[in-house]
Amino acid sequence: MYSTASSRKKEKAERTVGGVPSPAAPRQYTRLQKFWKDNREGWMFVLPLVIGLGVFTVYPMFQSLIWSFFNYTGDTYFYPVGLNNYISILTKDPYFWQVFGNTCYYVFVSVPIVLVSGYLLACLVNLPYKSIGFFRVVFYLPCVIPGIVSGILWGDMFSTNGVFNKLLALFGCHSDFFQSGNSFVAISSIFLMNLWSIGGGMILWLSAFKAIPAQLYEAAQIDGAGRFARFWHITIPQSAPMIFFNIVTMLIGTFQYNGTLVFASNNGEGYRNAMNMFAVYIYNQAFRASKWGYASALSWLLLIFVGIVTGIMFWLRSRIMKED
Amino acid sequence: MDGTTIKNVNAANLFNKRKKTNELIFRICMHVLMAVIGIILIFPYFFMVMKSLMSTEEVTGAELVIIPASPQFSNYLKMLTDEGYFAAFGNTMFVIIFNLIAVPLSATFIAFGFARCNFWGKNALFAFMLSTMMLPGVITQIPLYGLYSSLGWLNTLLPLTIPNLTGGGAIYIFLARSFLQSLPKEIDDAAKIDGAGSLRRYFFIGLPLCKPIIIYIMINVFNSNWGDYYGPLLWRVNDEFPSTLAYKVFYSLTNTDVGNDKINIRMAAGVFMSLFPAALFFIFQKQLIEGVTMDGLKG
Repeated sequence: MYSTASSRKKEKAERTVGGVPSPAAPRQYTRLQKFWKDNREGWMFVLPLVIGLGVFTVYPMFQSLIWSFFNYTGDTYFYPVGLNNYISILTKDPYFWQVFGNTCYYVFVSVPIVLVSGYLLACLVNLPYKSIGFFRVVFYLPCVIPGIVSGILWGDMFSTNGVFNKLLALFGCHSDFFQSGNSFVAISSIFLMNLWSIGGGMILWLSAFKAIPAQLYEAAQIDGAGRFARFWHITIPQSAPMIFFNIVTMLIGTFQYNGTLVFASNNGEGYRNAMNMFAVYIYNQAFRASKWGYASALSWLLLIFVGIVTGIMFWLRSRIMKED
Repeated sequence: MDGTTIKNVNAANLFNKRKKTNELIFRICMHVLMAVIGIILIFPYFFMVMKSLMSTEEVTGAELVIIPASPQFSNYLKMLTDEGYFAAFGNTMFVIIFNLIAVPLSATFIAFGFARCNFWGKNALFAFMLSTMMLPGVITQIPLYGLYSSLGWLNTLLPLTIPNLTGGGAIYIFLARSFLQSLPKEIDDAAKIDGAGSLRRYFFIGLPLCKPIIIYIMINVFNSNWGDYYGPLLWRVNDEFPSTLAYKVFYSLTNTDVGNDKINIRMAAGVFMSLFPAALFFIFQKQLIEGVTMDGLKG
């Protein structure tokens, strides 16, 4: 066996004489042995990853695909129903399209808000003042507060007798915020809450700015490019790879938003399903209603939808790249 | 002739002066703007601290109280003892300490393989790993519940810890790999020539060099585990579950048995929960704000 320590030493000694490969006795390996010898080190390092991906990602993925074709409720009796889960989700489910609409509204408004507000704030704290460091810390601070804590806090501030309603009462208004039965109002209050952690988007853009060479801006300024032209022709293209990556991960993350579990009534669904979104709906179908097969089909629909959106993003990127 | 030059000089001076005052006004405006935004962003936090110090009557009363008449510091004591938050804190610390060791170690270990070794299937595996970042996590939830159920892991802290032995997420492996690749390869090659095996090279060269990225990973691991209520929510079956702090807060929030009069205790828990991430942030703000985050994506 060549793999034991002593034989390996001997083999090394055989092969090299004073640093020069000796032609005398080149060790003969079968192809398989050589293949194993070349690869075993690398394989050893990635073995945990392979196990992890296999057990915690690939297996569950296919298991859920299989379950999505079954009427499975978590007990031992289950029977195949073909595509019926999918069909009934798309045609019969009374909540699905509302959930879908809520999720789309949340995702496609929330992500641009984060990007735009983060950009504006980043421009502000990119000014060359001494006090900037302090403001950066203040702006970023709300982001380090755990989501559950901000959920409690905003749930209280948005309550019927909370701060915001006292403020609105000065103008003779009242809003139900999270308790609203209107999806538009309820989900828009989430945007208001998310504005609190605007610092996250700020950091994103700041690190993008940092990667752009200053000469580009100087040259553009000499050529007479205005603020907007510099943003459009330098900042955007230069930070495009990073911003693109962040948009894609942000989209995927936002599609699975389950923060409503903390502050919305009815197990995160909100009053009259106003805040019912995909992730929470899947959770409630799977773990409260025990409809595992149905929930698996839902999660595959989510995967397909996220895949389509990601695909569109990549397509848009290649289109824009081509134009440059 | 003379008169016009003087006039010109005067005009230039005036122009410079005006530019300077303009800049000053701009500067003041920007500072006022930043101060206003800062105050708006800090206010909710201030509000939370105040609410955590209120008595039950002040919390449940109809009119709005911003500053409590007499601060009730006993709320914090009540929170830490009566409500069993202390045990939950212990459980959270167990999970966090395990992950603080497991994630950086396994992530850099795997990343070392990607950065410094050549093996069959490397690029395919790496691409596959990255593509799992795009996979919505909800899709694995339900089968994992089944898996953990058959392993007997439900109602324990094992699902929150053991899976993290396998790298703790593609993003960490990706970051560690980019970081390792940005380091000069010469040290590694020198060690290789001196006869150091790959494990030895990892532990004595790769791992110490990875310190900045390890700090970054550790901060993120701490924050994500500290505030994680969803994991415990998934794997909990009944009250025997060793509840973590975040889950405890979540449970007290959603459970209808716990009335609205406990909002001050809950706020105290919220303040307590935000202390640790805030402290971490103040210590490591440079690493977090300037960020090694996306250095690997520049190219």
